[in-house]
Amino acid sequence: MTIRTIRSAPEVFCLAAGLALIGLAATVSPGLTQEAQTGAAESKTDMRGSHDGGEANAAAKDVDHSKMDHSQHAGHEGHKMVLDDNGMVMNWNDDTPPRDCKNGISEDVEFTVHAGRKYAKPGQSFGFSTNEWNVKPCARVKITLVNEDKIRHQWMMHGLPRYIYPQAMFHLEAAGGQTRSGTFIVPSGDETLLVHCDMAQHMEKGLKAQLKIGAGSGDLPSVPGISAARVQDPQAQRTGGWQIALLLGGLLLGVGIGGGLLGRKSK
Amino acid sequence: MFGNTRIISGLVMVVSAVAALYVAWLLNPSYLPPAVSDFLYSNLGERPFAPAPPTMDMAKLQPEEVCPERRPQWREAQTIDGVEMQASPLCHPDNPYEVAAFVKGTNNVSPGTLMQTQLTPDAVVKGRDLDGDGDPDEIHIRLEVAELNGHSPDAPVEVPGYAIAPGVRPGFWVFVPKYRGMATENLITFKAQPGLRMPSVPIRVEQGDEVKITLENTHYLPHTIHLHGVDHPYQDANGEGNDGVPRVSEMPVMPGDARTYDIKPRQTGTMFYHCHVQPQAHILMGLNSLFIVEENRPNNFVQTLNVGAGHVRHSSVGVRERYGREYDMHYQDVDYDMHNIIQSSNDPRVISERIHRSFNITQRKPEAFVLNGHSFPYTIRDSMIVVKENERIKMRVLNGGAVSLALHTHGHKVTATHLDGIARPPAQQIIRDVVHFGPAQRADLELEAKNDGLHSYGPGIWVMHDHHEQGTTTNGINMGGHISAIVYEQFLGESGIPKVVGGLGPLFTPEYFRGEVPIFAGMDPQGLLNTPGQRQTNSTGTLLTVLLAVLLGLFFGALTWLIRSPGSGVTAARKKR
Repeated sequence: MTIRTIRSAPEVFCLAAGLALIGLAATVSPGLTQEAQTGAAESKTDMRGSHDGGEANAAAKDVDHSKMDHSQHAGHEGHKMVLDDNGMVMNWNDDTPPRDCKNGISEDVEFTVHAGRKYAKPGQSFGFSTNEWNVKPCARVKITLVNEDKIRHQWMMHGLPRYIYPQAMFHLEAAGGQTRSGTFIVPSGDETLLVHCDMAQHMEKGLKAQLKIGAGSGDLPSVPGISAARVQDPQAQRTGGWQIALLLGGLLLGVGIGGGLLGRKSK
Repeated sequence: MFGNTRIISGLVMVVSAVAALYVAWLLNPSYLPPAVSDFLYSNLGERPFAPAPPTMDMAKLQPEEVCPERRPQWREAQTIDGVEMQASPLCHPDNPYEVAAFVKGTNNVSPGTLMQTQLTPDAVVKGRDLDGDGDPDEIHIRLEVAELNGHSPDAPVEVPGYAIAPGVRPGFWVFVPKYRGMATENLITFKAQPGLRMPSVPIRVEQGDEVKITLENTHYLPHTIHLHGVDHPYQDANGEGNDGVPRVSEMPVMPGDARTYDIKPRQTGTMFYHCHVQPQAHILMGLNSLFIVEENRPNNFVQTLNVGAGHVRHSSVGVRERYGREYDMHYQDVDYDMHNIIQSSNDPRVISERIHRSFNITQRKPEAFVLNGHSFPYTIRDSMIVVKENERIKMRVLNGGAVSLALHTHGHKVTATHLDGIARPPAQQIIRDVVHFGPAQRADLELEAKNDGLHSYGPGIWVMHDHHEQGTTTNGINMGGHISAIVYEQFLGESGIPKVVGGLGPLFTPEYFRGEVPIFAGMDPQGLLNTPGQRQTNSTGTLLTVLLAVLLGLFFGALTWLIRSPGSGVTAARKKR
């Protein structure tokens, strides 16, 4: 856009004022790169595996989850479980590939993940050392959870085939300072499965991850370091004058550019 | 022609003004000065009758089940792993397997029994019998901290969900036994598993026991345990702080960390324990409960924890000698402005700033009141005092809230045998029907179902409530608050619900506590006290209002026309320019 195409003084004013306001706001503001302001990384999230709708996939059509009372372990029959002072492993599977794995187990893979306060990102309380694992379809996965806190933590995965894994889940729990391992075999479809610690508010405050089988099925929401939250967290600070200045400045800039472009087109 | 325009507009103005006055009078005489409306009344007579809005049908409510059954067989008296426990005929009795584990120790019960609970094997570890009297005296309790109704970054739901009344879910922090597995019942409702609930769990030990309480801080804020009224040294044998006051005896236990408190209480009584980090917030958020030191007796396996407070299904030897049943009763009050801070952000730093610094406790105003973690009508599921004639009941009452409690027992006058855990000499024990509790005060109340017109007036469903009227409300709606009842067994119906006259259905809806359900709705066939319809559902009123507006418009339109008409001087003047 050259000066000749700017038709009138108001357009020049808008452009100049807009740029000035934005520049001023940028210098005055606490920080324009806050995580709370950046948009969601994912745009093609598959609902499978996510909490609100996705568990319909893993959710029982045969067992009424809303009436299931876990404290009594209704449906506990069939759970494989080891429970001791160091933690718990539930529903491990090292020998039965899911039905859709026509060629049996594709590979053996081992991961070690650390959990604890040390791995928390800013704005959280706890964290996993890794938040994403990629495995081949029909892989046999051995996961080792190293708990670096003095309280217990879990590595619980949802969305596995229900006919092998009761309640569609594999569960690893390590008491404070302990290490526990368990093995499971994944099915063959491209899927992203939810991994989390299901203690009160532990997932919400950082202990969330995902395991991608094959190409996966998109990202799950609010996985630390990978995707943004669905529910935008209100800003910690109140709306400052600098935010208003930014908005106004952008508005003026837009008007100026628009006016200039239109002016050019009419010629 | 000029003249005509001015005359016409003048005429229109006059006619529309008069008509508007008349219509306004028809609509509402108070729109007009009294002189004008009196003039119209005396010349036109009374205005026609306008019926009041019709009574609306009650909206289609969908009440919850009054008693959603879990395990009816838990109500029976039973013996599990050698532990005897009383029958608990309420809708939601305590899990008898959990009670057995708390009595014997999670390390001592059979694996089958432990599997019927969600406890870890080290939740309550009972060791050696140090004094040789037949029961263990080394007790190690592990407590975690759970948040209820917290924020979720994925969906606008409270996680894990816990309701104190239909549709009422303020945030809470509670001390809970060390559980295993999922905190939620399932990933669809996000409802908390039954062990994660208000109130924080009451603790019971024997006098002289060597007790370790390990706080495993599973929450995202620092906490401690302070033992209020319980004999404990200021520092433990290793010189570490034992009083739980941050920056005095110790630094707080950070999230992810753990600390053990060591005590050997020499005195008995109904005492209190609570978090002492920022107590103006933490205690009131729910981190407080009963701590009871029972008399040291032979073969006295004490029920170390009593999840949900209420009926103690396995009482101590000392209590059983004198009382038929024992009830732990824990009263608290809730200010939504503070309790909902945890739902306002997912960032612990922001929550901490808002709850510890921004929120001003001096402006606190409670809107909800709970007994054993529930408000009425949920109190009838697990917090009623069930009694039979001539039985003697022990009630251990704690006010864990910030406002005082004026506890009134219908049909009975109770005897305060202990105040703040210290026995009163019998001659100094007061019998009364309103017992007053300041914050953190406790009283042991003896209720005798002796039908003498003093101790008891006889069998019935005798309501028990705070006589500070606010304590009987939730969001200002009565019946709510921590209303409960003393119920004689013959008045308990199916599923442990009291046989009250008139249904409780409407109270089991969120609409009721939002103030949307008329209190007397459905009590008479015409519904004369149901909700009235909208003020202007009648078409006459609407028509008149529109007509008035049109007339006023006409008046001002004509006025404008008058001013701007040719010959009025205005347009002529403009043309000249």
